Amino acid sequence: MIKFVFSFLMCFLSFHSVVAQKEKDSTFLQLNLKFGSQPLQLNKTYISKKNDTLQVSVLKFYISNLQFDYSDNSFASSRSYHLVDAENPKSLRIPIENNNKMITTIQFQIGIDSTASVSGALAGDLDPANGMYWAWQSGYINTKIEGTSPSCKTRKNQFQFHIGGYKKPNYAMRNCILHPNTNLEITVDIAELFSNINLQQTNSVMIPGIKAMELADYCLTMFKIE
Amino acid sequence: MKLKKRKGVIVGFIILISLSFTKRLTTPVYFEVPTNWPQPHYDFKNNPLTEEGFQLGRHLFYDPILSRDNTISCASCHLQATGFTHVDHDLSHGIEGKIGTRNSLALMNLAWTKDFMWDGGVNHLDVQPLAPMTSSVEMDEKLDNIVAKLQKQEKYQLLFEKAFRTKKITGQLTLKALSQFLVQLKTSNSKYDKVMRNEDKFSNSEQKGYDLFKANCASCHKEPLFTSDTFENNGLALDATLNDVGRMKITGNPNDYQKFKVPTLRNIQFTFPYMHDGRFKTLTEVVKHYNSGIDKSKTLSRDLLKPMNLSDNDRVDLVAFLKTLSDTEFLFDPRFAYPKE
Repeated sequence: MIKFVFSFLMCFLSFHSVVAQKEKDSTFLQLNLKFGSQPLQLNKTYISKKNDTLQVSVLKFYISNLQFDYSDNSFASSRSYHLVDAENPKSLRIPIENNNKMITTIQFQIGIDSTASVSGALAGDLDPANGMYWAWQSGYINTKIEGTSPSCKTRKNQFQFHIGGYKKPNYAMRNCILHPNTNLEITVDIAELFSNINLQQTNSVMIPGIKAMELADYCLTMFKIE
Repeated sequence: MKLKKRKGVIVGFIILISLSFTKRLTTPVYFEVPTNWPQPHYDFKNNPLTEEGFQLGRHLFYDPILSRDNTISCASCHLQATGFTHVDHDLSHGIEGKIGTRNSLALMNLAWTKDFMWDGGVNHLDVQPLAPMTSSVEMDEKLDNIVAKLQKQEKYQLLFEKAFRTKKITGQLTLKALSQFLVQLKTSNSKYDKVMRNEDKFSNSEQKGYDLFKANCASCHKEPLFTSDTFENNGLALDATLNDVGRMKITGNPNDYQKFKVPTLRNIQFTFPYMHDGRFKTLTEVVKHYNSGIDKSKTLSRDLLKPMNLSDNDRVDLVAFLKTLSDTEFLFDPRFAYPKE
């Protein structure tokens, strides 16, 4: 009995040290939010390629199921969900395991898969309290971009894009594949989205559908390595 | 070394004892499936029922703290004595007297329900409360704000700790607690159920009504839940003041035009008015609609193409049968009532 308790305690302690080790060995995937060549600042005025003057007030999106290919042909993947929020600098650094191998490819999804979308109330970054869950029509908002532009003849010149949908044919999650530099930095260039849309015509997309699918394609082009 | 070992033993025992103690802090609840009923759709593995979770959910259900100005609770539109729905109003009303676009649904046997709302827009019981919480004409509140309000109250810190062993309130736990209450709103003890269990007998009129029901209604209002949990167009002429396209709003599919959830008929005697827009006040009107008021359109349920041709007596018998679906034990069960402090 004494032996058992002792070994139980040893297990417990060694588990603790493993956790501590892991924390020490983790590194980060850094997301750099930009508008063209400039760093993106919320509520700052930018001009898009379509000549729309605009300010972004909300930018939130999900990065999920990160997968890494290494130079030694091995790979690692995990079911994971990260809510990135331009207002929260901490969320721009996604912790990943540092195993001293060279990453050749990073793969992830922009948005939430259909399985998680039908699993009821989830925790952490998937908690519906984060404001990224639709109420009258279930499902996650993959990407939320809101702001103002004089081009929008809407109330208070607002534009609102809530891009999501988990049911075919309007499954708006997008798969992103990138080949990183050694510094593991990913650029998210919002200007790419606005170079594809004319804010006078497209300024409110709030439900799953063809328009959301189009915007999801444009969002994919925002992610790149510089 | 020996001393260290002994210390380790003591610490180990303390850990073991406290572990066994924490387990005993919640009381598991067994969800009984009535004989000859299908297996529930709700996955209890992801939200194991406990008495403490149920009680927390019950407090939340009856608390107007869920609304923006702390005036509207779930129970405002879902009253127990009337099958957890809002009677007397064709369209339900919420915050600041604002009026919605649909008649509130009765809440019962939700463990067997796959899709929620009249249009099936909600895919899981856990996330169903988000709809009334955030609707601008119902509670007009946000989940993160509700969580912050709950966190400030000592009462809820305690209730959450009892139910989930944490004082940190989250959106997930709030929704799971509500589910624990909602999923236990089970009604299976009406006269109909007793007759099926050979504990009671139908009157002549009720029996005739039951036979008519099986011939004319049961394809959609399937026993024993009295719903097929599908969406149908039941021949209601479009109300131009609402222009409600029903399920098509969710699917975008023209074949779903004016299709609505097939609601359960249990406790229907008390859940008036009827239909998604509450257009019928009495069961007699409802039966009359199906007998001779069907509005034929492209998406009309195939089962309603053939006229029912019921006589006046038949219609009386059918209503008599529908009243055997009332379960007063459920409607007055103190377990589901407003919680006393």
